[in-house]
Amino acid sequence: MIVVNYLAAAALFATGLYAVLTKRNLIKIVMGLSLMEGSTYLFLISLAYRAKSTAPVLLSPPGHLGPRALAHGNVADPVLQNFCLTAIVIGVAVTGVFLAVTVRIVQHYKTLDADRVRDLRG
Amino acid sequence: MSRAGLSSLLPLAVAIPLAAAAISPLAARLSRRAPLVLSALALAATGGLLAVMAPTVYGGRILSHFMGHWLPIGGHALGIAFAADAWGITFALATAFLGLLLVVYTLSELGDLGRRELGGYSCLFLLLCAALIGAALTADLFNLFVWFEVAALASYALTAFFLERPIALEAAFKILVLTTIASFAIFIGAALIYADHGALNFGQIHRALAGHLRPADLVALALLIGGFATKAGLVPFHGWLPDAHTAAPGPISALFSGLMVNLGVVAIGRIVLDVYTPAVGHHVLGLLMVLGLISAVGGALFALFQDDLKRLLAYDTISQMGVLVVGLATATVGGVAGAGYHLIDHALFKALLFLCAGSIVHMTGATKLSEMGGFGRRSPLLAAAFTVGALAIAGIPPLNGYVSLGLIHDALRSTGQAVPFAVMLVAQVLTIAALGKATWQAFYRRLPAGVEHERDERLHPGMVVTLAVLATGCVAFGVFPTFVLDHLAAVAAGVLLHPAAYAHGVLAQGGAVPSMPVPFDYTYWSDILVVGCTVVAAVPVAMAGMRWAGTRPVVALRRVQTGSVNDYAAYLVVGLLTAVLVLAGTALR
Repeated sequence: MIVVNYLAAAALFATGLYAVLTKRNLIKIVMGLSLMEGSTYLFLISLAYRAKSTAPVLLSPPGHLGPRALAHGNVADPVLQNFCLTAIVIGVAVTGVFLAVTVRIVQHYKTLDADRVRDLRG
Repeated sequence: MSRAGLSSLLPLAVAIPLAAAAISPLAARLSRRAPLVLSALALAATGGLLAVMAPTVYGGRILSHFMGHWLPIGGHALGIAFAADAWGITFALATAFLGLLLVVYTLSELGDLGRRELGGYSCLFLLLCAALIGAALTADLFNLFVWFEVAALASYALTAFFLERPIALEAAFKILVLTTIASFAIFIGAALIYADHGALNFGQIHRALAGHLRPADLVALALLIGGFATKAGLVPFHGWLPDAHTAAPGPISALFSGLMVNLGVVAIGRIVLDVYTPAVGHHVLGLLMVLGLISAVGGALFALFQDDLKRLLAYDTISQMGVLVVGLATATVGGVAGAGYHLIDHALFKALLFLCAGSIVHMTGATKLSEMGGFGRRSPLLAAAFTVGALAIAGIPPLNGYVSLGLIHDALRSTGQAVPFAVMLVAQVLTIAALGKATWQAFYRRLPAGVEHERDERLHPGMVVTLAVLATGCVAFGVFPTFVLDHLAAVAAGVLLHPAAYAHGVLAQGGAVPSMPVPFDYTYWSDILVVGCTVVAAVPVAMAGMRWAGTRPVVALRRVQTGSVNDYAAYLVVGLLTAVLVLAGTALR
């Protein structure tokens, strides 16, 4: 059931957003964003799936199917899966920067509380 | 050179700065300033390359190139397309040449930093410029997302670059959180469009959307607008913008404000007008108009009560982005051409003002207006440059802001939108008051008693040259408006208002776009009347702004900008949800 995937993606997204909007701990905010990111991947992979499709791998297809039959047949959309791969790479880089900034904040301010790191306001 | 030959050069406009970005940390081993010199050369080469294409593109042609020659078959594009049209190339050219000027300024002001710092700085600077040029030239929705992310990554690192100020870290965390949420919105928006139509190429999406718009398409549009509005810093997506500009050094703030935030507006213009056509009977133009007006007034209001000079300028950036979006939202020749014109103007005068603010920090170390004064006597050149920038924003003829603001105001009046016009005038009065206040406090009053500055430096020649070039630009774009209007803005408006011609040009690897003559009369009495009235009205407002700065209503107003990253994320999410409800709600009814 693909609907379960969409529900799971929505639930993950909502959980992550809840953390970003309510948690003051910087690490928890980063974790919330990672959850939201993961939910977008699940959403896209589910969008790529068509009923009873196989993976879009055209080398050594399962059973009686030749590569040509597979290319004309029912495979999941590889473009959306590619989106995810690209976004995962970017996401790793962003999380790296996120954690680096968090470490430096802890070194400077001696706290992880976002509410005590707000000199810039007004 | 033939058109096909010209088109095949398009990827170089991104490849040159990207390659130089990769090399520049290595170049730092040769000598301390080598990375910055390399950046200057790379940006000059990119600018030169774009300038070679400019006559063809501004002649009303679209140059399109498919990467790896994966050409479209039967209108279905598989490869990623780069397309140079008048709207995109204007932004790309501005990025290359303004970037070059900012590198020269950096070489002059920050050339004494260490090797590693300068290597990293050049790398990030070029990466951001490459991403902006890529975003301006791409004709592929997912590619646009990738350039957005590249620009975002570079901007995170640049915000946090100068670690001696802890506020830089705070600002970096905020820009990280907000831009990451925006990137999710753009990512999901692009995926929804692809899942619905199997298309990523702008031309192909335009053709697929030409019939009936489904709710999913409108949700995607709302998500894309929300995502790019975050980059543009429109209210309520703006939480990161003032902080990021306050913490960064002068040239970085100028790069962010003059160029990076424009990426959002360039993308919004492209998506709303070229990919989706606004005539299909949904509320996208109304949504943009409201977003623009709130930003224009809100940004200017916050600027009026600011004491930190760079923060004041950052709030004014929010206001100017609002003005640009209002121009686009009119969807008329005058309004869109005015937005294109204002894009260049804003890049020029806001870069000038941020560099002036950076120069003041360099000379004295002062960042707050209450600690400034008498700089006019101390450095008349700096005073002249800042005054030119402030007058240009105020829209006083013969400076450049007069033409673009006049066009946008005229477009609102000629389409009978009286309320938006009135709101724009309020925003204009507030803007003039805020910048007038800043100019007077920093340059023309006496230094307040008891204020000591931590240093007493002189401006370096490179800084003076940059300021002079930018100020000259502000004057030149105001004195020769007919040339800019006929040869640049009119063609750019033509691209945005003829989506079918753009789609054909992209998919057929080249095509013509009709140019649209822009009606503008330099001595039109009502434009001059508007300038006079707003300037006169701004004087009491500026005085009120200074007198009321500490009063309770003002403090309560400024408390909206809480400084808490959770609150800013909440503002963003509320904005996104509103956009989705407004656009998708109309489709369901």
